[in-house]
Amino acid sequence: MIEVENLSKEFPQPKNEIKTLKVLDNISFQIKDGELVAFFGPNGCGKTTLLNILSGIDKQTSGKILVNQKEAKESRVGFVFQNYNESMLPWRTVAGNVELALEIQGADEKRKKQISNHLLNKVGLIEHKDKYFYELSGGMKQLIAICRAFAYEPELLLMDEPFSSLDYSTSRKMELELLDIWKENKKTIIFVSHDIDEAIFLADKVIVLSPRPAKIKGIIEIKLPRPRNLDILSSKEFFEHRNEILKLFEYEK
Amino acid sequence: MKNKKIYYIIVPFIILVIWAFFSNLKLISPLFLSTPQAVFLKIINLFSSGAILPDILFTFYRTLLGFIIACLIGIPLGLLMGYSNKIYYSLEFIVEFFRSIPATALFPLFLLFFGIGDQSKIALTAWAAGLVLIINSMYGVHLGKELRIKSAKTMRISGFSLFQKIIFPEALPQIFSGMRIAISLSLVIVVVTEMFIGTNFGLGHRIIDAQLVYKIPEMYATIFIVGVLGFLINKGFIYSEKKVVHWKGK
Repeated sequence: MIEVENLSKEFPQPKNEIKTLKVLDNISFQIKDGELVAFFGPNGCGKTTLLNILSGIDKQTSGKILVNQKEAKESRVGFVFQNYNESMLPWRTVAGNVELALEIQGADEKRKKQISNHLLNKVGLIEHKDKYFYELSGGMKQLIAICRAFAYEPELLLMDEPFSSLDYSTSRKMELELLDIWKENKKTIIFVSHDIDEAIFLADKVIVLSPRPAKIKGIIEIKLPRPRNLDILSSKEFFEHRNEILKLFEYEK
Repeated sequence: MKNKKIYYIIVPFIILVIWAFFSNLKLISPLFLSTPQAVFLKIINLFSSGAILPDILFTFYRTLLGFIIACLIGIPLGLLMGYSNKIYYSLEFIVEFFRSIPATALFPLFLLFFGIGDQSKIALTAWAAGLVLIINSMYGVHLGKELRIKSAKTMRISGFSLFQKIIFPEALPQIFSGMRIAISLSLVIVVVTEMFIGTNFGLGHRIIDAQLVYKIPEMYATIFIVGVLGFLINKGFIYSEKKVVHWKGK
């Protein structure tokens, strides 16, 4: 259970000692265990700041975050970044990357192999496990990043626009892969996106954010059945959700 | 590129032709420039008599030892300077200051501390190469990707593991670039010290001895051998660099 209450974040401005830059404005929401929630908002609205605070690497100015009744810093939070080339380790093999978190935790060799083999099998990349990371294509690299995050067994998994640098068909394929891993391994996921279709397609709930400072404009329950396939993208229900969200969406001035 | 190999030899060949032309027609006095054939015969002679072998071995040994000491001190120090701002600010002035002084200007200082034997030659080499390695290792850490550290930190990586698993491998390509510059520099410093600090063996020693008694073909032959030695060391290094930091630029 993720509980966020009246969360705000202000940054000091380097050339202005009196005024601070407000990025997050009084954000409150709750996420149940095993839910996949998408945040949808314009670029630069403060989504990344929100994820940094949720992951415990940045601190809020005010407000409260609890991940399973613990401080964000004391909980296990996984993170998948948009830029896989700069977040993964090119000097390691594919399996070596997936096993990184397990290694940090001090897992033994057998357990590491078992977990990474299972995940790589699941996403169909097992035959690439001994290749170096840089030898794979963009989509494959991001799948490895997702495997690495799942291997970590996070209580909360944060995904910061992970597919936005991939082309249309690769992104759709990645979304299906993600749903497939998640179906078996029900982690609580916060997925940040600036792609409305992606947000609806994946999520149980879509939280719409305003331009900076980010406020919650509304929370939409997505009632599309699971398992989801690409046909859903052109269904009537999908468009109803889309319109509902666009009504809430506030364009940048 | 077809026939890549031909490009390797075109320019050296042209230089050789010009050299042969001027020296054989005595357009330049043989006191300054020997003919290529005289130099070539001298090289054959130096190898067949075996006279050059101890010189090559000693020069190579000093270069390697100086370089290894430089690595053992320079790389960890540079990494620490890159990692910790406190260490960086404490040492920045010293490093930048000595970096702008030619190492060979410190001859007298090293002679005072290390005497006129091998020690001062190796110490001076380690000093010059070490400064290069400090700077490059430090940049290796500074140029590392912030996001890789951030993503490891979300996995609650501890300080030492962060260094060992992320920061060090990330700095490795830059460290290797530094090592390549440092090993070439080591050879230069060793040859110069052999010329000016007494020794019985060493390529620098042979160059200066030949020059003093006007054995000009021998001087050029030895210079040529120094060049080949440097070339081979560098090639060997590039080869191992490709193996070790295979991810560089990818």
